[in-house]
Amino acid sequence: MATLKALSMRLKAVTNIQKITKSMKMVSAAKYAKAERELRPARSYGMGVQTFFDRAEVKQKEEGNKRLIVAMTSDRGLCGAVHTNIGRQIKALVPELPAGTEFKLICIGDKSRAILGRIYPAEMLMHFVDIGKKVPVFGDASAIANEIINLDYEFDHAELYFNIFKSVISYNTTAVPIFSRKNIEEAEKFNLYDSIDENVIQCYNEFALSSLLFFAMKESAASEQSARMTAMDAASKNAGEFCCGEKMIEKLTLTYNRTRQAVITKELIEIISGAAAL
Amino acid sequence: MEFWRQAGLNYVQFSRICARVVRKSLKPEVRTTALKRDEAHIRVVQWKDGQPIKPGAV
Repeated sequence: MATLKALSMRLKAVTNIQKITKSMKMVSAAKYAKAERELRPARSYGMGVQTFFDRAEVKQKEEGNKRLIVAMTSDRGLCGAVHTNIGRQIKALVPELPAGTEFKLICIGDKSRAILGRIYPAEMLMHFVDIGKKVPVFGDASAIANEIINLDYEFDHAELYFNIFKSVISYNTTAVPIFSRKNIEEAEKFNLYDSIDENVIQCYNEFALSSLLFFAMKESAASEQSARMTAMDAASKNAGEFCCGEKMIEKLTLTYNRTRQAVITKELIEIISGAAAL
Repeated sequence: MEFWRQAGLNYVQFSRICARVVRKSLKPEVRTTALKRDEAHIRVVQWKDGQPIKPGAV
């Protein structure tokens, strides 16, 4: 049997962790409410861009052998598998690429850099930090868009991976294509659009990229907060309630009290038998 | 070609400058909240030869 001191320390640790996870849940619940509220107006940015690409039937050539992969995560952990899912999808994609394909990575957030930067260090172009401390704003998205526009890597095929928020308990890891100007000009229904010159297309495409990034940032922030809320809720439940079929804190309290009584009984026996021997 | 593109700006930078000017010319009661939306907190770290190199501000 464990000593009394060890038991009391463990009991204290578990209770403290439960307190921490409970308050973290409260914090992320508040943050989640804000993220979800802000997500609704931000969605129209992404929807607008995607609808135009859909209607114009803009497509990326599959045979392009220079790819760019953008992974959208954040700096913060303790939110379930949100970031790991992004990394997993990209790791699953890379072996599927046809031979001779060159690909480069841009990681947004420390978590994707930690996951992907270790496996594909040679493919990393850049990563962005300080995401997730504050609510994402359009300025953040345009800063990323600016870096992508100014890349000296000419890609044929680009994709943005992010988590799309569905409900409090679910999100989908999705990839959306990032189109280049050439893609738009080669689109089938491009001629349906009237009086647009090269300049308009270039401007629109640059703006579309930052809108898409803004939309993805908001979506991933909302899914991250909701996932953190669920994860923290589960963690406090595990500490306070069922663990291996029993309530962990209750079980520990019971063992602690039993051990305490055993120690007292042992001491009493020692004193009494000592007195009897005199 | 537009004058700002000749100066080496792209549309994202150009529209951001425009937005900043509009925000600054708002009425004082709404200006502070609007200016808050202008900030970007993000930082970029470039990689070279499989190693991150010194971080720089965006």
